[in-house]
Amino acid sequence: MELLSLCYIFKGLSTSQFRRLSEITKEEHIQKGEFLMHEGQKAEALFIIKEGEVELLTSVNDTFELPITILRNPGDCTGTSSIVAPYVYSLSARCVKAAQIFIIKQIALEKLMQEDHKLGCVMMKNLAQHLLGRLKETRQELKIHFKTIFQSIHP
Amino acid sequence: MNQETEINLEKEGDITVFDIQRDVTAFSESVFSKAYQDADNQGTKKILLKFYEDAYINSGGIAILIQLLAKTRKNNQLICIAGLSSHFKKIFNMVGITKFAKIYNTVYEAVAVIAGES
Repeated sequence: MELLSLCYIFKGLSTSQFRRLSEITKEEHIQKGEFLMHEGQKAEALFIIKEGEVELLTSVNDTFELPITILRNPGDCTGTSSIVAPYVYSLSARCVKAAQIFIIKQIALEKLMQEDHKLGCVMMKNLAQHLLGRLKETRQELKIHFKTIFQSIHP
Repeated sequence: MNQETEINLEKEGDITVFDIQRDVTAFSESVFSKAYQDADNQGTKKILLKFYEDAYINSGGIAILIQLLAKTRKNNQLICIAGLSSHFKKIFNMVGITKFAKIYNTVYEAVAVIAGES
């Protein structure tokens, strides 16, 4: 329960809500090199890091993997496509240092969110805030690329 | 991945070393811009980017490095890289960064090679 409270998506939930989440949470060991999820695959679970390191990647032209971020803090999570339609993972996640992770299945989490609307609302609000941060970062990256192009055209 | 980048400039003879601490993301742009501006103002012609083994450089960080390579190319400055993990050496190679900046295993190796170059 304590680890789940470190995860941004569950920030602001009550003790009883954490208890209900714990009931649908399973812990697993992941070996280095193992994938938790693949880009384009049906999103069936949310993953929360307890320990270890997991890298998020996206495929470019099927020729190489572009690094997006590294999850290395307890409570870091990925797989949020499992609670947002069309329920398809937008990134791949590969374990880069043997990890212990918590897994929450999409079916169980969706059922919980439907039974407890307040829980669902808090989670979606937290997710929206997180995704806004990611969007800002992506825009910043885009600006950098355009600056480089602009400077090469206008020396 | 919330470790803010820090860059300390050091000198190894006529080489300016960018000692890059922690992860590099799109939000590291201002730190790199300032470091480059300071180095350029000092008249440096050789730059060595020193990374640490545990550094994580995401796509935004790679964009910043490409931006830096474009600047050094325009200003006829030699730039190279040292200290990267094998994981990022592979990525940098695939992205094409190695066409513009050689990657060395250590700072010592880099300095030994580029110190004599003009």
